[in-house]
Amino acid sequence: MLKHRHNMIILKENKRTVKENIQTLKRIWRFLSGQKGRLAVVIWMVMISSCLSLLGPYVVGKAVDTYIVTKQTEGFVSLVATLLFIYLALSLSTFLQNYWMIGIAQKTIYSIRTQLFRQFHQLPISFFDQRKSGELMSRLTNDIENMSQTFNSTVIQVISSTLTLIGAIFVMLSLSPLLTAVTLLIVPMMFGGMRWITNRTQKRFKEQQQNLGELNGLIEEVISGQKVIKLFSQEKTVISQFLIKNEQLKQSGFWAQTYSGFIPKLMNVLNNLSFALIAGVGGIFAFKGMISIGVIVIFTEYARQFTRPLNDLANQWNTLLSALAGAERVFEILDKEKEEDDEAEALDLPVVRGEVEFRHVSFSYDKKQEALRDVSFLTSPGETVALVGPTGVGKTTIIQLLMRFYDPDRGHILIDGYDVRQIKRFSLRQHMAFVLQDVFLFQGTILENIRYGRLDATDEEVIEAAKWANAHSFIMKLPNGYDTVLQQDGSGISQGQKQLLAIARAMIARPSILILDEATSNIDTMTELAIQEALARLMNNRTCFVIAHRLNTIQNADRILVLREGTVVEQGTHASLLKEKGFYYELYHRQFKKEII
Amino acid sequence: MRHVLSYLKPYMKWMIFAWALMLVELLVELWHPLLMEKIIDDGVMKNDLHVIWKWGAIMIATSFLAFASGIANSFVAAYVGQQYGFDLRKHLFEKIQSFSLFNFGQFSTASLITRMTNDVTQMQNMVFMSLRIMLRAPLLIIFGMVMALFVHVKLALILVIAVPLLLVFLIWMMNKAATLFSRVQQMLDRVNSIMRENIAGMRLIKAWVRSTYEQQRFTETNESLMTRTMTVLRFVETITPVLLFVMNVAIIMILFIGRNEIHAGSAKAGEVVAVINYATRMTAALSIFTFITMAFSRARASAQRIAEVLITTVDIIDEEQAEGTTIQKGEIQFDCVSFRYPESEALALQDVSFSVQAHETVAILGETGSGKSSLLQLIPRLYDVTEGTIKIDGIDIRHLKQEHLRAAIGFVPQDLLLFSGTIRDNICFGMETISSEEMIQAAKDAQIHDTIMNFSQGYDTVVGQKGVTLSGGQKQRISIARALVRKPKILLLDDSTSALDVKTEANLLQALKTYSCTTFIVTQKISTAMEADVILLLKDGQLLAKGTHKELLKTNELYRKIVQSQLGKKGLDDVETSAQYDYIERK
Repeated sequence: MLKHRHNMIILKENKRTVKENIQTLKRIWRFLSGQKGRLAVVIWMVMISSCLSLLGPYVVGKAVDTYIVTKQTEGFVSLVATLLFIYLALSLSTFLQNYWMIGIAQKTIYSIRTQLFRQFHQLPISFFDQRKSGELMSRLTNDIENMSQTFNSTVIQVISSTLTLIGAIFVMLSLSPLLTAVTLLIVPMMFGGMRWITNRTQKRFKEQQQNLGELNGLIEEVISGQKVIKLFSQEKTVISQFLIKNEQLKQSGFWAQTYSGFIPKLMNVLNNLSFALIAGVGGIFAFKGMISIGVIVIFTEYARQFTRPLNDLANQWNTLLSALAGAERVFEILDKEKEEDDEAEALDLPVVRGEVEFRHVSFSYDKKQEALRDVSFLTSPGETVALVGPTGVGKTTIIQLLMRFYDPDRGHILIDGYDVRQIKRFSLRQHMAFVLQDVFLFQGTILENIRYGRLDATDEEVIEAAKWANAHSFIMKLPNGYDTVLQQDGSGISQGQKQLLAIARAMIARPSILILDEATSNIDTMTELAIQEALARLMNNRTCFVIAHRLNTIQNADRILVLREGTVVEQGTHASLLKEKGFYYELYHRQFKKEII
Repeated sequence: MRHVLSYLKPYMKWMIFAWALMLVELLVELWHPLLMEKIIDDGVMKNDLHVIWKWGAIMIATSFLAFASGIANSFVAAYVGQQYGFDLRKHLFEKIQSFSLFNFGQFSTASLITRMTNDVTQMQNMVFMSLRIMLRAPLLIIFGMVMALFVHVKLALILVIAVPLLLVFLIWMMNKAATLFSRVQQMLDRVNSIMRENIAGMRLIKAWVRSTYEQQRFTETNESLMTRTMTVLRFVETITPVLLFVMNVAIIMILFIGRNEIHAGSAKAGEVVAVINYATRMTAALSIFTFITMAFSRARASAQRIAEVLITTVDIIDEEQAEGTTIQKGEIQFDCVSFRYPESEALALQDVSFSVQAHETVAILGETGSGKSSLLQLIPRLYDVTEGTIKIDGIDIRHLKQEHLRAAIGFVPQDLLLFSGTIRDNICFGMETISSEEMIQAAKDAQIHDTIMNFSQGYDTVVGQKGVTLSGGQKQRISIARALVRKPKILLLDDSTSALDVKTEANLLQALKTYSCTTFIVTQKISTAMEADVILLLKDGQLLAKGTHKELLKTNELYRKIVQSQLGKKGLDDVETSAQYDYIERK
């Protein structure tokens, strides 16, 4: 009873996935729109080439029978010409079907990639915050690559295998139903054997994949931690750790490979068996006069035509399934909810003065714990506002809301009196520039990276901005100056230098609102001094939000907002806050007193 | 290729065994048509049912024999393939472990990982395949050709001419395809790297409103990926039709000439049929060849990438007569040291000389990029000096064994590196003999003990990818504890206290005083530098000034500026006071 129910559940699950697979196929089908005509031509070509490939041997056989064995002469030349034509047409149709199919497949992959990329830009930031980019990436590249390869060959193979299979069975049946039945005896054996093997291989392959993943992880960790391993002379230890994982991989790989190696051997033995069966049983039939010897000869040929596509189909089936699973994962991302559209009447602000107001703003990332609670403040244009408080009190959250990476749960954020939700996102962000905690640089030259702040900036303007940010002198020391290519991880220049570049990038953007998120925490005091000077020039006439840990860097701010557990507890200037002797006073003294002593 | 294949040597016996097994299979397959002929000629034609039964049974029996040897071949081939992969990975990993940091700079992490995984798998598969099917196709072709020649020389000549020509064509095409494929790979890498960049930098892209720009950039590369892929695939797909056509034309020619020969009386009908039969078999074998050459060229590229790692010259190795002495005191002397990062033109350090007594504390100050970290990295020989010498306890560090040198050094790098595992594993990294008390003491001194005890699992809390996420400051303190637990003679702190708040940092520096070691601290904070015995002020890789806080205040303008910027005017006025503090503290 219990067992029965268990089976039911499995059955249901299987059904569900089949349904899902069909849905995925339908979606892929939709991607083919505009190419369906071509696909029809391809299928047509496949049919032609399959027929021709069955026809060729038949005509050759006929030629042998009539012109070689019986020495007849009439019509030989025309038959040779026909044969030549058949083979030419076969080669041509094979080439054309592949040629067009590759076009269809690659165009489809292209449009899937394009859609995916566009989708990335429409997804809300929370999507990226919740996922590890490396994982997301490796999954996507593998999945798409998998789809691409499957598209190229599988479609044609599946169609032509099916056609060949049907054709072969048809010819066999017309020759001798009895001998066909004997030949078909091997089919259940084949399915049974395949099942036995795949039951084993699937588990082993999964195990192998897992072991490979672990090994991968170990290598990655060891290589990125190489400095520490060297410093602590731990090379031998990690080698022995590696050998354990390597051994595990070898073991699982051995069984996976051995079992999967059984498949062609199984096909071989079945082929040989069917050959023997046809020869033996066919011999007996011929002995009893039920069939002719010629039928046996043709049958052996077609039996081969029959097992090969069956084997191909079994192989293709697995790749097809894994490609479908990959496609499903890609579609999953395409289906993710997009960032809310701008409101229909959203404004396009040509000029922003920079008045920012938070009105009773509350926000939570996970809908459980509030990151901001009833935050209100108003800044006038051109003011420099410093956000102060221990880590995790919501300083970064305020910035995220201001830039509309997230929308507040309650309350309003206004810029120049407009609710940010009434302003088009691009228009809002165009008036802002920032230097975030982790500097992100793109693979490309330094010039390109600075110019990212304003794409139409001239080279002179870029250099000017770099000079302002005190980045010019270090850039000139690099072997290729502004044309130095930065690698993706930004290796080659120091953390501080990256920040200088980010500052230059912000400078060139000429924003109305400037955001500095701990921008100066990694730069040495001397450079910092020069930057403060440059920033002072930049901040002039601009609203500016600064988050900094070191309180001495924000003493000149027009307004300091002191945050504690998601709320603004104090606000005022440095002097007035010190007078209040509240939380700020406490923070300031804890830090500054120490520096004197 | 040869180098990488040489690792197969130990398995030669097994490989021969696998080939022998494969040969059994192949022979059975080639024998079967002859058996069938017997059934027809001796059985059916002569009305002898007994013969049909006999040869039929033999055919079935040999089928199973072939199956058994095929299964055995699977085991042996998998064994050799996996063992080979295991060996390759092992050698690669050991080689990589002997790499210096410079060597690591020559390869990206991602590429090292691919070489150790994908490329090895590629080689492994090629070995596996070659033990099973690769020889099948060439053997079938050779056998077919020989048999055809035996049957009828003149007819077989058509095949003898056509097949080698096709093989040459095939190899030429595949070589050409290989270069085209590598261009596709390049484009694919570009597409993927743009995708990766966009995923990682989405916040920035959104904030700068650069969606359109990025999409344009992406579309261009995506488009050229599409066209390149189409070109190479279409190129490769011409092979099969050409192959088929040439072979089929050869068959037609055999028919045509065969018929003339029969008319001339120099050939029998059966002979023509047999040669045609062999030609069809060879056609099938030839299409397997396409697949083999493809696998082979892929394996060749992999082999090259693997070999690149294996033949890399490691630039920092122990001298043969390296001294076995260990470091006792921790006196350090830099003698006219200049240093340039490999493959860089500018000097990172230029003519730096100073000496430090054992147990002294040295603070290193300087701008970003002035050479502070470079100086520190030279001491444990992460890099070797370009000119000059570094001596510890009077011995040139190049004469010491790396292991001994590094055993005496506690290094806390700027980039925070913890390994996945428990906190205990991380603190006791590489020190099996540490007692719990010693570990806890180190953690206390690093000001992290209380934090650790707040975790529910205490020291057994798992950190890293699968465990607790630590803040930068927590990671810093754990790496400090990891350095302290070794009771180093020399402690190197590379800006390792930047994420600590002022109070914690002060406690930490206080605790460090109980360790009898020479300490180098790279710092931005004057308050930290003031407590050092010696301050080194670096600028553009040169040692600008050296002295105590008081001395530098008097003699160095730059130093005064830094002090002023951090402590305000008060800092300068308080020279006397701070001297008094020093005095009180020492007492």
